Amino acid sequence: MADKSLKKDQVKNLLNKIAQSNQLIAPILSDGITLFKPVQSGEGVVLDYQNAVVPPKDFFFPQSEKMFSYDMSDPSWAIKPEEGVPNRVLFGARPCDVKSILLLDKVFDAEFRDDFYIDKRNKTTIVAISCNDCRHTCFCGAFGISPGKAEGADLLLTDLGDRYLVEVLTDKGETLAANCSDLFSNDDGSGAAAKEKATAPALEKQMKIDLEGVKAKLDNMFDHPMWAAESLRCIGCGTCTFVCPTCHCFDIVDFNNQSSVGYRYRCADSCQFANFTRAAGGHQPRPSKMERTRQRFMHKLRYFVDRYGDFGCVGCGRCLEKCPVNLDIAQIINKVKEVG
Amino acid sequence: MCDCKTREVASPLLPHIATINKVIDETSNIKTFQVAFDEPGVLENFGNMPGQCCMLSILGVGESMISITSSPTRKGMLEFSIVKVGRLTDAIHELGEGDKMAIRGPYGNNFPYEMMKGKNLLIIAGGIGLAPVRSLIDYALDNRDDYGRVDIVYGARSTDLLCFKYDVFDKWPKVKDTHVHVTIDREEENWNGHVGFVPSYVEELAFSAENTIAVTCGPPIMIKFVLQALEKMGFKDEDIITTLEMNMRCGIGKCGRCNIGEKYICVDGPVFNLSQIKKLPPEF
Repeated sequence: MADKSLKKDQVKNLLNKIAQSNQLIAPILSDGITLFKPVQSGEGVVLDYQNAVVPPKDFFFPQSEKMFSYDMSDPSWAIKPEEGVPNRVLFGARPCDVKSILLLDKVFDAEFRDDFYIDKRNKTTIVAISCNDCRHTCFCGAFGISPGKAEGADLLLTDLGDRYLVEVLTDKGETLAANCSDLFSNDDGSGAAAKEKATAPALEKQMKIDLEGVKAKLDNMFDHPMWAAESLRCIGCGTCTFVCPTCHCFDIVDFNNQSSVGYRYRCADSCQFANFTRAAGGHQPRPSKMERTRQRFMHKLRYFVDRYGDFGCVGCGRCLEKCPVNLDIAQIINKVKEVG
Repeated sequence: MCDCKTREVASPLLPHIATINKVIDETSNIKTFQVAFDEPGVLENFGNMPGQCCMLSILGVGESMISITSSPTRKGMLEFSIVKVGRLTDAIHELGEGDKMAIRGPYGNNFPYEMMKGKNLLIIAGGIGLAPVRSLIDYALDNRDDYGRVDIVYGARSTDLLCFKYDVFDKWPKVKDTHVHVTIDREEENWNGHVGFVPSYVEELAFSAENTIAVTCGPPIMIKFVLQALEKMGFKDEDIITTLEMNMRCGIGKCGRCNIGEKYICVDGPVFNLSQIKKLPPEF
């Protein structure tokens, strides 16, 4: 489908229309911070934000999610899986966060398919929005991500001042665009060039991190003293993994409130916590902060590459910004190149 | 009854309910539970192979990865030998015949029983470490003509800590060309067998590495010295097989707990040969 154009005063109408037949998830300002939330209409949706504090990963892999309920007073224990989600549109995701969903696909849609994730993934249309500006912590370019491209999105919007350029990237995107065709006009052919100009600052201003040779160096750095040195200031809070769009570790817990009826849920967990790897009987392969710090960086920059053929980081910069002690993956990358 | 539509939504994280048919006291803190699934057809289609594991749970208490100790050649049931070591296993030890547990699986890879055909097997186990390799031993003995000589070296700290005594002393030694060598760590009254640690006993027995696959499972310290002994005896890394253990939650390579390097022990393991283990970061 050819590129479309959407006048800025039509955005709210577009969101309202989408919300009529889908669950709409979009960035809103909540207590002064930008977060993705389910919304009833286009009211309050912000599209000029730089990035949400927490990635939209939550709508595919929630912080906490019921898996099934049970009743142990029933002879069969009455295990009943949770119902799936309605059709949804995730509106306004940034290119780095969209890429992170492709990385999560490699984890959840491989070997054993994770049906909780896949149900949400299949029923969600992703409308991405290009970045015209970036935060001081952004470095998506290091991972081949571009502020004006959104591999994995179904539709891509780019702010061109008075209008949005609308690119249809997939069949899912085409269906959504066709349903809202009365709000779009055809792009007059100036969109592509205008987009390049509009997204250039985000590319120029972002941190330049070069990953050349980093993976090869890390292959031989398991015993390197830098991990002990870097881990000294870590306080083990797990914030980096909480805000990370690619972290996918979880725990599985039963809740029964002291009765026969209960449910099993899973919730995000973190490799930065000691109990993560501590087994019954006391076996603990990662007993100190050194091992846990090393695991996080090694997993993203070496193990994920070996297993899935891509880095487990998208350069969104959230962990750089939120880490209370500035344990910074961009600095780690530079350090590896220096000392490795 | 099976509602296949619902199961599709949540499998493979959704458990099946099984009933305990038999409980065997192995030692003061190890019990073997023989179970069968309530739902018809589940066990028949389970497809477990020697060395694989299951997630066992009591809903409301927790869930844990336990190796299947029975061979798939023994039909109509699964067996799990469980050490009482934490919250869930404490609760499982309270269960008796007719009680239920929730089981999902089977997970993980398996002992390379196809590759082992035509070869001699040297099985070396300590304590509860006999449980996972028992599935392989019974598989080989039930297909006796497919395998060469079978040697089983089994040890524990004392006689009351030996598991599967009915197999070790009664069943296995009676099978043709099958030799069981039992040892305990310290002298004991009424014990006429070998006394000493497993690794040194293995060296003493001086097995030939010729056309032989060695499989070892037991406490980490035993495995460490058994591996050294086997290397000394001329076994190639590819012919030395052991299992790795990590804390696990999902069993399907997603939750991240059992990640070592690029591997997830729950899907790529628990069975590895020494050559594969040497390539992993030493973090287990």
